[in-house]
Amino acid sequence: MEHRPDPVLPDRIAAWFAERGWAPRRHQLDVLEAHSAGESALLIAPTGAGKTLAGFLPTLDDLIEGKGQGLHTLYLSPLKALAVDVARNLTDPIGEMGLKIRVETRTGDTPASRRQRQRFDPPDILLTTPEQLALLLSHPESAKLFSTLRRVVLDELHALVTSKRGDLLALGIARLARLAPDLKMTGLSATVAQPAMLADWLAAPLAPRAARLITAKGGAKPELSILSSDTRIPWAGHSANYAIPELYEIIKANGTSLVFVNTRSQAEMLFQGLWAINVDDLPIALHHGSLDVEQRRKVESAMVAGRLRAVVCTSTLDLGIDWGDVDLVIQIGAPKGASRMLQRIGRANHRLDEPSRALFVPANRFEVLECEAALEAVNEGQQDSEDPADGGLDVLAQHVLGRACSGPFDADTLFAEVTSAWPYRDLGRQRFDRVLDFVATGGYALRAYERFARLRKTPEGLWRIANPAVAQQYRLNVGTIVEEPMVKVRLVRGRGQKRGLTTGPIGRGGRVLGEIEEYFIDQLVPGDTFVFGGEIVAFEAMREDEAYVSRSFARDPRIPAYMGGKFPLSTYLAERVRAMLADPEGWRALPGQVSDWLELQRAVSTLPGKNSLLVETFPRADKHYLVCYPFEGRIAHQTLGMLLTRRLERARARPLGFVASEYALAIWAVGDLGMLTTSGRLSLDDLFAEDMLGDDLEAWLDESSLMKRTFRNCAIISGLIERRHPGKEKSGRQMTMSADLIYDVLYQHEPDHILIEATRRDAARGLLDIRRLGEFLRRIRRHILHKPLDRISPLAVPVMLEIGKEPIFGEGRESAMAEAADELIREAMGR
Amino acid sequence: MSAQNAAKIGEAEDADTVVVRFRGHAFEPLTSGALFWPAHEALLVADLHLEKMSSFARAGRLLPPYDTGMTLSRLEADIERTGARRVIALGDSFHRDEGTTSLLPHDRARIDRMLERTRWTWISGNHDPSPHGIGGDCCAELLLDGLRLVHEPQRRSAGIVAGHLHPAARVLINGRSVRRACFVHDERLMLLPAYGSATGSLNVLSPAFSGLFDRAGLQVVMLGRDRLYPVSPRRLVAG
Repeated sequence: MEHRPDPVLPDRIAAWFAERGWAPRRHQLDVLEAHSAGESALLIAPTGAGKTLAGFLPTLDDLIEGKGQGLHTLYLSPLKALAVDVARNLTDPIGEMGLKIRVETRTGDTPASRRQRQRFDPPDILLTTPEQLALLLSHPESAKLFSTLRRVVLDELHALVTSKRGDLLALGIARLARLAPDLKMTGLSATVAQPAMLADWLAAPLAPRAARLITAKGGAKPELSILSSDTRIPWAGHSANYAIPELYEIIKANGTSLVFVNTRSQAEMLFQGLWAINVDDLPIALHHGSLDVEQRRKVESAMVAGRLRAVVCTSTLDLGIDWGDVDLVIQIGAPKGASRMLQRIGRANHRLDEPSRALFVPANRFEVLECEAALEAVNEGQQDSEDPADGGLDVLAQHVLGRACSGPFDADTLFAEVTSAWPYRDLGRQRFDRVLDFVATGGYALRAYERFARLRKTPEGLWRIANPAVAQQYRLNVGTIVEEPMVKVRLVRGRGQKRGLTTGPIGRGGRVLGEIEEYFIDQLVPGDTFVFGGEIVAFEAMREDEAYVSRSFARDPRIPAYMGGKFPLSTYLAERVRAMLADPEGWRALPGQVSDWLELQRAVSTLPGKNSLLVETFPRADKHYLVCYPFEGRIAHQTLGMLLTRRLERARARPLGFVASEYALAIWAVGDLGMLTTSGRLSLDDLFAEDMLGDDLEAWLDESSLMKRTFRNCAIISGLIERRHPGKEKSGRQMTMSADLIYDVLYQHEPDHILIEATRRDAARGLLDIRRLGEFLRRIRRHILHKPLDRISPLAVPVMLEIGKEPIFGEGRESAMAEAADELIREAMGR
Repeated sequence: MSAQNAAKIGEAEDADTVVVRFRGHAFEPLTSGALFWPAHEALLVADLHLEKMSSFARAGRLLPPYDTGMTLSRLEADIERTGARRVIALGDSFHRDEGTTSLLPHDRARIDRMLERTRWTWISGNHDPSPHGIGGDCCAELLLDGLRLVHEPQRRSAGIVAGHLHPAARVLINGRSVRRACFVHDERLMLLPAYGSATGSLNVLSPAFSGLFDRAGLQVVMLGRDRLYPVSPRRLVAG
């Protein structure tokens, strides 16, 4: 890098550093220098590198110089807690430097009176969230409010850009770039795989001006290890129960530990397991998204105060405020990705010069391999973070309506503005016009709603909202986070199940334990037991929108409820795992149990190659199985399973069902899959041919409930249906139903409606992982190795053990009714 | 007596036809949710909720304006298939009284065509209490062959055929569950599922149904994609 002269640090700031015996870091000065040169900047730095101060130095500099009239800097963070925390961390130095700078936050919790005032009399620095920015922009006075804006600081940018919130943010800053001609962006991000792409994302609205990429020097290398357990590592499962005693000792031996798990139910199980042996009464807490907010706040403040020895948590603590001293980060189960791990590890020890310490605890044998791969990747500094994605059309619809709320607009101008946002850079005009039409009249081929239009054209050809109620509706619906429909879980006294698992008659009005996804409760029948809030409870009944549960004395919950993490195994780690499998030399580094397992697999079958696909077939009981090992993550495997069973059906192999894990896919059938293949009647190359992503995918989507779930989100974000507001709107239960109905009606009548298109694009990206599946199919083309076996192979055991634990797909839903009906007939015939 | 009434009739008729006997009358339930009464060549339908989606548009929710057309298509097909000469709509035919005037011209024309070919009786419901001039007869209830056809179910007298509650059933077998709209009846009362394309449904085990049926004589016929499923009441679960 070429040498740049140090920018002159204003005396007051220099003095403030000196008083503390600190010196500004190189990257902090670089950010200041970029600003002085009139450039935007993306700062990539690990946790603890003084990113926040770096982000605000240019602002302090400007304001000391007296450059600034009205709102000067807008800071946007994904978490309101972070905005509040940054405000605190900023107010102190500003006070200590004796500066007259107003810093305020604006979140959902800010009193309405202050929010109102902020629109007319803004502070110098406003700290807020993407949703609040959208709301501010929808007011007519936003043009004036933001005209003075010089800087936008985007915190935790890596976390925002991969979601629809990132789309909303991108559209927001594109608007700001038009309102404030003098604007410069500063992005703060953890290390990512493609920093240049992120810099493009950030500066796209200011094109042709680019953002300067500043990379902070990494801190001390983290110290990583994998738990080597003396006990048997399970074949399958995700609970890591086997390791709980060792884990407990480790927690005991360390000051404060953050214990990350991948799903809420894992958190529940582990928390319960640790407390079952907590003879020392160590303060161990639980933190996940379904717990009561109060409860979570309590845990967080106890953590900040240093009163806890361990917190078992999910991704809810991936981001967020500084915890102070965390001595050890423990990752339970699959790491999923190297970048994700690096960020979690960064939650320990926020001092740059001391190494963070982290321990991986694999929950099963495949995860041993995954942990090894992640450890190597982190040590090599490899990154596999998700890239920013193309913008959602539903978010665009929301933005267009918001833009109309702020005042009449010209479609050509708005199109130019929207396409200056990175996620929408490739948006075609025709698609934009369809979104606009959707916002105005619903966008239906049947022009039924001209008289109810939400947007109308002025005589000058500008678009404006039809009436003020439209703006009110918009403001209630702003944002892209759509909660799963949840039901409250209330603890009542049990009514005494037949199984003797619970006691007493069903009571009323106990304490609320938290909230749980409605689809989970939907599959329960009274008496089913599951873990929630750290204990085993029995489902009693649904009462209105609450699930009544009672304390259960069952030793194991009946419903395992492993809902698969949100994050699939990264392509990068998958590749490393495949490479490890293909390299028997390297197995010596693995725990004995694992290398023995692989050796056995080599002896009775073979191992998947680095770039090929291993397909095993074998009979078991009265069925025939096909197990393959794509290592592409559960979501892609589920999609593959759906599509393969369709094809096998056509090949008259009579498939019955399948189950997918992160690593493998098992399909079972009545037909002899092995013989069909060896006899040449079934070609594996044809079976796995890429064209399954054409008609087969379409046909399957037609009947898939995944589309409905995705549609519901799109319908809410785009403003077609209302989002739920506590105590005000209809319950999520009703809304889901109506979203399904709307989908059915729309899909049957206008399958190419813009909202169906938006749903399709979302489903392909999220719930189906089509792109990854496509890359996989291309990679393995003509590289399929078939191994007909006479019985199950060692490698197949883990996925086969998932049968019965995981939801099984592919069985006709109607067959349940048919069975109930046949039973009735047998009854009638007196058999 | 449990299930004979609702069981499949064997070789004599189409294997997929289910016949429901209620107070001495034979009815043929259809997968669409209509109930055909061969003795009167009458098609009974409940809760069409026509113009439901479009009724949201007034409030700024521009839901797809296709539900009315879809419901009418199914109705046309059912009339065609059964050769019905009479249609009896058991109330809530329109989602709001105003629905009769908000019909798009071509939907209105389709109703007119059906009205020309069949004799219509519109029984009023809580959503559409007022008589209208669409064509056909409007009334609060209809007595036919000893049965009382009304919108809202009542327990007080026997022989009632009604809608209103949008019944659905959920069965659970071997850990798999499926929930569908259904016909439900006992010796005194017969309830039809909601026929409209934009209608939701309510589990027959929910409190709204309590006291209506005699659980011992309960008969449930669920609507499948291509056939009907008389299911054992023992298999019903909530939710």
